[in-house]
Amino acid sequence: MFKVRIRFSKDGALRFIGHLDFLRVFQQALRRSELPVAYSQGFNPHIQLSFALPLPLGMASANDYADLTLKESVNMENAKKLLQNQAPLGLTIKKMWETEGRNAASITAAADYELKCDESEMPSIREAAKNLLAANVYMIPKKTKGGIKDTDIRPDIMSIETSGNTAVMRLAAGSGRFLNPLTAAAILLGRETAACEIIRLELYEKIGEAFVPI
Amino acid sequence: MHLSDKLLLRVEKPGRYVGGEINAVIKDRENKTRFGFCFPDVYEVGMSHLGLQMLYFFINRRDDVWCERAFMPWPDMAAVLRETNTPLYALESGDGLKELDILGFTLQYEMCYTNVLAMLELSGMALRSAQRDENDPIVCAGGPCATNPEPMAEFIDFFYIGDGEATLDAVLDAYRDHKSRGGTKTDFLKVIAGIDGIYVPAFYDAAYNHDGTIADFGSNSPEIKNRVKRAFLPQLEYFPDRFLVPLVEAVHNRVTMELARGCVRGCRFCQAGFIYRPIRERGVDHLVTQAKTLLEATGHEEVSLLALSACDHSGFGELVDKLLAVTEPMKVSLSLPSTRLDAAFLSAVEKTQRVRKSSITVAPEAGSQRMRDTINKNLTEGDILAGVTQAFDAGFNKIKLYFMAGLPGETEEDVTAIGALAETIVDVYYKMPYEKRKKPVSVSVSTACFVPKAFTPFQWVAQAAPDSFESQQREVKASIRKKQITYRYHDAKTAYIEGVLARGDRRVGAAIEAAYLAGATFDGWSEHFNYDIWLAAFEAAGVNPDFHTRRGRGEHEILPWDFIDMGVSKRFLRNEYEKAMRGESTPDCRTRCAGCGIEGGACHV
Repeated sequence: MFKVRIRFSKDGALRFIGHLDFLRVFQQALRRSELPVAYSQGFNPHIQLSFALPLPLGMASANDYADLTLKESVNMENAKKLLQNQAPLGLTIKKMWETEGRNAASITAAADYELKCDESEMPSIREAAKNLLAANVYMIPKKTKGGIKDTDIRPDIMSIETSGNTAVMRLAAGSGRFLNPLTAAAILLGRETAACEIIRLELYEKIGEAFVPI
Repeated sequence: MHLSDKLLLRVEKPGRYVGGEINAVIKDRENKTRFGFCFPDVYEVGMSHLGLQMLYFFINRRDDVWCERAFMPWPDMAAVLRETNTPLYALESGDGLKELDILGFTLQYEMCYTNVLAMLELSGMALRSAQRDENDPIVCAGGPCATNPEPMAEFIDFFYIGDGEATLDAVLDAYRDHKSRGGTKTDFLKVIAGIDGIYVPAFYDAAYNHDGTIADFGSNSPEIKNRVKRAFLPQLEYFPDRFLVPLVEAVHNRVTMELARGCVRGCRFCQAGFIYRPIRERGVDHLVTQAKTLLEATGHEEVSLLALSACDHSGFGELVDKLLAVTEPMKVSLSLPSTRLDAAFLSAVEKTQRVRKSSITVAPEAGSQRMRDTINKNLTEGDILAGVTQAFDAGFNKIKLYFMAGLPGETEEDVTAIGALAETIVDVYYKMPYEKRKKPVSVSVSTACFVPKAFTPFQWVAQAAPDSFESQQREVKASIRKKQITYRYHDAKTAYIEGVLARGDRRVGAAIEAAYLAGATFDGWSEHFNYDIWLAAFEAAGVNPDFHTRRGRGEHEILPWDFIDMGVSKRFLRNEYEKAMRGESTPDCRTRCAGCGIEGGACHV
């Protein structure tokens, strides 16, 4: 068995399907590609495929990751081509490589989100970002199992960088801490925003104190 | 244009409205006839329909036509379209349906009629043909409900009756010529009115007697034929080599293979069993090759076999073996439609479910032998129990039983026999040795309300009233005592409306329009069906629903669909009706030709 990581981007119509639908669409593409994919055991064998982090409905991603198990080692450049040929419109396979490390889903610690804003909004966004980063604690009401509770989200914001008419936020993401990018974007913009106005740029693993793309 | 991203995020399952499916056909708009295949139900239902897949690729195999799709938007999306003044658009191009040349609706069930009207209105078009102008697309409709087109006659420019592949090319050729030559819609409709299967309602008039029955029906112009002959394909050849694979999960996500069209059985309640005669089978090797091609082109994990009675396919056993040889290495599961619990079927089920035993479905349709003879089911209680015994023995412990209530001549004993049969089946299970029945048995009984349809021997009978269906349902419920049996039933009020739409005449159209204008859509969905809207609509349109449902028709009455030649003769249907009333059965076509009138009995089944 060979563990393979796939880096891809997702845009267009694919933004409007849920996580489980995208998983099925991806598995169907793998079945059409005739790559030697490994199946799970049991009554309903299925392709062993997992994503690093689900993407909110409507959001595009520039660098997204999936883990796949192959039955045999194949040329990765060729595998990438085979899969790309079967990919639905909006799914671009950027790179495939063999990996022996932990699953993408378990190492993901942070994500970069790019916010496309209106030129006129930029001064207030820069101001909001400055205040947010200067604070030690930033409490917001957050939905939890026990109802709505004030929660400190400051530790979940790693950085906010503005340039031109975009803002890039690095936020905690993954199975541990997670901050909804729409929540952070609303604080910066001072208004509600929609997932289709945000692009998830990259996912990171935390190695020591450094954030490294997975 | 498709809807904007922000608006899409306001609706449930936006993936229904964005296109981009695997194998979707994108063509250049230039010099094309633009055809919109319109499915008047929600996306997930329409995308699971084999007819859509077949016709989409059949039409798109022509370079001069671009066939696109549109579905009935869910109410949340319909509201967004209205609020933002966005016309309903074709999924491939995003162009408004009104910009297309021909819109083709498929009428799979009567309860989607208001959705047809909704889709016309959401496209920015008038509901009635007479109120649409030369700039509007030509609106046509086909599918099983087109065999009684009259209730929808005011809204549809032409109906296509019969096998889609038979004369659709001739219609599209005629449209191409018409477009290059120029002329009015009427000019075009006159040309195609001569093609088999084409019915243009505007060219026909009906006159009525004082009692409301039809006095006369025929063409209003000497150049138009009086009778419309169904389009008929003697041999099934075309099958697509690709299917559209939706991005959002459909009702069925699988490769469906049409084994045969038509049926040899002749169950008297079943419209499909008469309108698709004679049976036309696809060859085993063709089916196996095609299934493999389709699996490779879709990535689906399931193949299902479609036919009115799959195990009646003359090569059924061989087909299952050959398909399994293809599907097993591909990790694809093969699912069989449950039809008759005979030996061939059970052995096939055994092979396809080597690992897990799931439930098995049997359709006795009626509880008593007398009723099964009336409907010509040709199935004895002995057959049913033998089949069930064999299934239990093979390790199945869940049985689903399908019945119909309200069959002609049904008595209380016939109804309570439904519960009795289910109880006998539970007893059969507990008669097996203890080691064989480790798991508890479960029998689920469901009853549908019988709605008589056109072109069946029961086209003359009165449909049961809603309250009589409801009392039958209570009787069935009372006749079931064992806790292993669960009981479900169809809504009697829906069946009443379905009955009016199924056998109504041209005057019923006004009631459909009134119901739609009063807010009826998705009538086939119990959460959207509103009985009171319909009753008020009948009242407002001056339509007596009992006249179309509760009334038995005389032998010599002109029925609204009599002008259509569906192959089977009216004399044969009447003969079958009379046999039904006498409780006599008719053997299947292979045992003895029943003389149904098809091809003068030379169908070589």
